[in-house]
Amino acid sequence: MQYKVLEKDKISGFLDYLASKHNLMAPVSEDESFSQFKRVYQASEINLNYTNTVIPPKNYFFPPAENLFSFSAENGGIEIKESRQAENMVIFGLRPCDINGMSMLDPVFNGNFPDSYYGPKRERTILIGLSCQEVMPTCFCKSFGTDPTDGSGADLMLTGLENCFLVEILTDKGAGLLENAGGFFSDESVDKAISEKKLLRDKLAGAFLREPDLSGVKEILDKNFEHPYWEELAAKCIGCGICTFVCPTCHCFNMIDTSRPDATGSRYRCHDSCMFPGFTKMAGGHNPRPTRVERVRNRFMHKLKYHLDRYNLDGCSGCGRCIAKCPVNIDISQIITHIREVVKDD
Amino acid sequence: MNNITLELRKQARKLLEDQVVQLVIGYGRGSDPFRVTPVFVRHPDFVDSLIWNPFCINNLAKYLIEYRYLPGKIAVVIKGCDSRAVNRLIQDNQIERDKIVLLGVPCTGILEAEKVAKTTGYQLELERCSEQEEKFTLHTSSGDFSFAAKDSLITKCYSCYNHNPVVFDIMLGPAAKENPAAVKYSEVESLEKLNVKEKSEYWDMYFSRCLRCYACRNVCTACTCQECIFNQAKPAWVDRINNLSNNTSFHLIRAFHVAGRCVDCGECDRVCPVNIPLRHLNQKILKDLQELYDAPIPGADLETGPALGCFVTEDPEEFM
Ligand code: SF4
Ligand code: SF4
Ligand code: SF4
Ligand code: SF4
Ligand code: SF4
Repeated sequence: MQYKVLEKDKISGFLDYLASKHNLMAPVSEDESFSQFKRVYQASEINLNYTNTVIPPKNYFFPPAENLFSFSAENGGIEIKESRQAENMVIFGLRPCDINGMSMLDPVFNGNFPDSYYGPKRERTILIGLSCQEVMPTCFCKSFGTDPTDGSGADLMLTGLENCFLVEILTDKGAGLLENAGGFFSDESVDKAISEKKLLRDKLAGAFLREPDLSGVKEILDKNFEHPYWEELAAKCIGCGICTFVCPTCHCFNMIDTSRPDATGSRYRCHDSCMFPGFTKMAGGHNPRPTRVERVRNRFMHKLKYHLDRYNLDGCSGCGRCIAKCPVNIDISQIITHIREVVKDD
Repeated sequence: MNNITLELRKQARKLLEDQVVQLVIGYGRGSDPFRVTPVFVRHPDFVDSLIWNPFCINNLAKYLIEYRYLPGKIAVVIKGCDSRAVNRLIQDNQIERDKIVLLGVPCTGILEAEKVAKTTGYQLELERCSEQEEKFTLHTSSGDFSFAAKDSLITKCYSCYNHNPVVFDIMLGPAAKENPAAVKYSEVESLEKLNVKEKSEYWDMYFSRCLRCYACRNVCTACTCQECIFNQAKPAWVDRINNLSNNTSFHLIRAFHVAGRCVDCGECDRVCPVNIPLRHLNQKILKDLQELYDAPIPGADLETGPALGCFVTEDPEEFM
């Protein structure tokens, strides 16, 4: 790995430069408690001290509503216009749990059957990570074996230290970006910055309030498809779907055709949620997940078992968004712990 | 342990032991010191999972709709604001009064968890809460912390219409002091002063960020339709496609659907993950209903029907 140093007073210059040369997406605080990644035009719009955005950055590759194609049958035959936009993008300021979340999504859309909408967007994007400065009470990325300063999956990783940012160049894409922005970076005191980063990492590692132990959880789930515990959780769930909409790894969608009286229309795909009753409803009315028990179970099975079965990757990055936002305090970190206990009791 | 918690457990135990009810819906400890979670107690051995503290924010009346076909009766813990929702459900024939046993909490306000945590941090156990003279004291494993009610409550509690439940079977403590002077619509009034363009910009900014997760609907006791129009595929009244125009349709339709039935419990506002101030929308309608029809807050009593669901010859007919 190659390292550089970016002095603190040069960060705005670097971000302004990025915004002028690229489509730059970065964390913006819209109001006191709402933040999201957004197209920014200058450094001053960016909140460098944000904890974690409410909306996960997966939306850039897997948008909440995406036009797939438009059609027109106006002149007899049918004419189809594909809509496939993939612009070059730089996403700056990704937290490690979000970078991880993207790595967990990749095999879903970019696996054996590459999705022609997701792949090109992902391909043309440069990811710049930014180490966390604090651990929120809902964070538990540590349980998944990463840490708040871990840049794996990004192209570049920045870590804010006392006087500078340590820059880790993780891929060729990242190196290419820096080549053209050479003026901002130096090789001086790289060693000092590396050891400072180690101190930050150790400090943050000790700051987690949630450290659920994941070992054996998948094996427990393999054997406990039916368990009264799911009913206990489902009793309180209001089926709102917040947990899936804010999750950086949830990826289910619905297809929607709209048509207008003039014989034109479009096909969209939109985020959907396994917590909605209509999610598995089939033509004819049969629903294999008829009650909330099956739906709640599915969500946690997907996060903690199915994703591992399919891709050998965790399905949760420990970002804690669903914990922070669930209106009834259904808490995946607590579930991980509970599952181990309830099964032991049996 | 505070007195309300002790009384709650005592009453719940009795109701379950005597088989008056089959289920008690109440609050239990959450996964953080300042979070609570709904709990469903079916056996007297488990009543100790029930708690009451000034973080018990959820309106549990919503669960009555889910569990109404359960054989036997259901007991539910309700605060003043939630109790209006119970009246509403009864008025709408969503549940029979005989089916439920209401455990009423005299409530002096709910504390804002995030504000509290800024002082205390999260690394502690909340042991009990006590209250004296507009002041809440949290007794924790890291010592006592006091918070003045005047700057630590959640917004809706400052304009509370009913600190004591308007309907109940068992009260879990001595009545709380009501606050008749509470300002109800100050935020709506300042919004009313904006011109059309400013109003539009205000709501566009919020509606454009809506995720269409429908948490605001799912948590709402005024939303009881078996099939919601926003779920209907044929016809698709409002597209699922997330954009400003569809999102605006969603919000305006929902606001009109709950008009005259919204009890201002504030739950929609609380649960919205992207902080859309839905309460302003619903309060505007409440204010209009009050000014036009002299309508009380919905659910305030069982006799007054919904303002838009009944006709009186004195009604103004400005739009006809
Ligand atoms: S956010 Fe909570 S209540 Fe809503 S669907 Fe998810 S688990 Fe259920
Ligand atoms: S399941 Fe929850 S904690 Fe895990 S990645 Fe999704 S939102 Fe984050
Ligand atoms: S989960 Fe980890 S990486 Fe994500 S914000 Fe929290 S500490 Fe940072
Ligand atoms: S809860 Fe908020 S984000 Fe979800 S549908 Fe309602 S307004 Fe939109
Ligand atoms: S609209 Fe909102 S405030 Fe009104 S009853 Fe429903 S959840 Fe409560």
